[in-house]
Amino acid sequence: MQPVVQFRNVNKHYGSSIAVDSLDLSIEPGQFVTLLGPSGCGKSTTLRMLGGFETPTSGEIYLDGKEISRLPPNKRNVNIVFQDYALFPHLSVRRNVAFGLELKGLASEAIHKRTMELLSLVRLQEFADRMPAQLSGGQRQRVALMRALAPNPNVLLLDEPLSALDAKLRQQMQVELKSIQRTTGKTFIFVTHDQEEALTMSDVIVVMNSGRIEQMGDPHTLYSRPRSRFVANFIGESNFIEGTLKGTKGGLAAIEWNGSVVHAGLNGQDLQAGSRVAVALRPEAVSVFAAKPAEKLAFEGRITQRLFKGDHTSLTIELPNGQVIAAQLDPVALSRITDDRVWIGWREEDAVALAD
Amino acid sequence: MRHYFSDAPKTALQASYWVFVIYLLLPLTLMTAMSFKDANFIAFPIGDWTLGWYAKVVQDKQFLEASGYSIFIALMTTIFATIMGVWIALLISAEGIWGRAAIFALACLPAVVPGLINAISMRIFIRVLDIPTGTGAIILGHTVHAVPFVVIMVLTRLRSMPNNLIDAARDLGADSFIAFIRITIPFLAPALVGGMIFCVLTSIDDFVRTFFLGGYQPTLPMLIFAKVQGGMSPEINAMATLVLIVTAAVGLYAEHFTRRSRT
Repeated sequence: MQPVVQFRNVNKHYGSSIAVDSLDLSIEPGQFVTLLGPSGCGKSTTLRMLGGFETPTSGEIYLDGKEISRLPPNKRNVNIVFQDYALFPHLSVRRNVAFGLELKGLASEAIHKRTMELLSLVRLQEFADRMPAQLSGGQRQRVALMRALAPNPNVLLLDEPLSALDAKLRQQMQVELKSIQRTTGKTFIFVTHDQEEALTMSDVIVVMNSGRIEQMGDPHTLYSRPRSRFVANFIGESNFIEGTLKGTKGGLAAIEWNGSVVHAGLNGQDLQAGSRVAVALRPEAVSVFAAKPAEKLAFEGRITQRLFKGDHTSLTIELPNGQVIAAQLDPVALSRITDDRVWIGWREEDAVALAD
Repeated sequence: MRHYFSDAPKTALQASYWVFVIYLLLPLTLMTAMSFKDANFIAFPIGDWTLGWYAKVVQDKQFLEASGYSIFIALMTTIFATIMGVWIALLISAEGIWGRAAIFALACLPAVVPGLINAISMRIFIRVLDIPTGTGAIILGHTVHAVPFVVIMVLTRLRSMPNNLIDAARDLGADSFIAFIRITIPFLAPALVGGMIFCVLTSIDDFVRTFFLGGYQPTLPMLIFAKVQGGMSPEINAMATLVLIVTAAVGLYAEHFTRRSRT
C-alpha cells in the first residue's frame, strides 16, 4: 500500500538549533498515528511542516505520493485541529464548520447538509447557531474537530487537542476521537506528550526525542519491547539495572550484575560483549517473595516504602548494593509479604537489555 | 487594607467627585439653559422660554452648510485615517519587522504634538508643496492627527487576537487576502468602529488645524467662532447645544459598542 504521508530526510533548523533531524517517516492510510515525545522533541514542528505552517530546511514531504514540502496550507489536502481550537469567535458554530466548505465553493444547500451531518456526528445540532464563546471546552473541541473534517481532508492533524480539558473529559474525548477515526476511516496524526493518551488511542506510536525518531511501533510492542532507555523510561515506568554484557545466546543476553549473571531479552539488538548495558524491568514484572525461593535466581532487599494505590500497592525495595527497585503488587501478592526483608526476581523474557 | 480608609476621607473623596462633576457640567448646563431663553441677551433670570432659537438655527443656511462641510471633512478624514491606521498597525504587529518601536513612536507623534505647532508646520508643509489651502489641506491635517488613535485602538485589538486564527483560516483553504477579509477585519470590527467614531469626533471638533489650513468656506467650529466674535447670542447657544447632544450621543454609543464587543 502506498503511504499516505511520507517524510524523506526532512530537516528543520531554527538558526543553530535543530528542531527536526533527518526525519524519515512513512504513514499508512487509515491509521491512528501518534507522535509522542517530551516538549521540544520536534513532534509539533513535524506536524506543522505537514500542515504547511513551517517549511523544511531540507528534505521532502509527500502527501499521496505528491511532493507538498513547499505548498502553502491552503493548497494541501490536510486539516489541523489546534491545541486551543482556534475557532473563529465572530462566527456561529455552523459558520465555523462551514468555513472550509464555503471556500471550496460548494452550493449553500450542500454546505448546510454536510455541516448538519457533521454536527450531528458529535451531537451538537442544537448548538449550530451558538457562538463559540457560549460553548464548553469539550463542545468547542468537537466543533474544531468537525470544522477540520468538513473539507474532507486525506489526513487530519491534531496538535495536543485534549491538553486543555480536565482528566475526565479528556478520557471521554479519547474514546470519541478514536471512534470518529474508525467511522471516517481517515488517517489521524495526533501529537501529544502524554504517553497514556498515546497508548490508549494509537494504532502506531512514533516516539520522538531531540528531533529524531527513537522508536516506532504499535503500543504493545513499544511498552513491552522498548529499543532504547529513553523509550523504556518515557512510556510507562521502568527499573534500570546496569551491568556488563557477558554474551548473548538465543535472543537472550547474559549480564553480570550484583555478583550474579542475570538474563534479559535482546529485542533484536546487536550488543557487543563486554559493553555496558542497562536492563529495563517494568515494576509489575518484578516478583516479590517473603522467603528465598529455592529454584529461582533472587536478590535480597529491604522494603523502604509502601504506597497504597487502590488496586495495587507500589513498593520501593532497596538492595544491599544500593540499587533501588520499584515493584507493583496486587493485594493477594501483598498479603504474603509480612516482613520488610524480601527477595525479588523476574522472568527473563520480561526484562529487556538495552545499550547503556 | 480597608481600615486605612476611615469613613471621613471616603466622604471627602465622594464630595470632591461631585464638585468636579458640577464644575464640569455647570457651564454646559448654563449654555443649554440660555438656548431656551426668549430674549436677545444672555443673562439671568431666564424669564420666558422658547424654542425659537432652535427653529432659527435649523433654518440657518450658513449653519447647515457649515455642518454639511464639517461632516464631509470628517468622513473623508475617517476613511483615510482608518486605512492608514490599520495598515500601520498591521505593519507594527507583523513578525520580524525592523524598527517596530520607531514606527510606533512616529505614528503616535501627531497625537502628542501641540495642535498649534502641528497646524503651523502643516501650513508650511502645504506651502512648500504648493498645495492650496481649503478642503484638501484640511482633510490632510485632520488625517495626520487622527491616524494615531486608529493605530493604538487597532493595535490593542490585534494583540488580543489568537495567533492561530489566521493559520486556521489558511488551513481551511483561505489565501492570505481572504483570511484578512474574513477573519482579521471582523475580529478588528469593534476597534475599527471605535477608531472611526473617534476620527469623526476629533475632525468635527478641530479648530486650530482647520483655521490654519482652511480656505474661505467655514467649518462648523469656524462659523461658531466667527459668530461669537460678532457678539454672543442665544442662537449660538442653541447651535452649540445641538453639537453637544450629537457628539455626546455618538461618543457614548462608540464607548458602549467597543465595551460590549470586548466580552
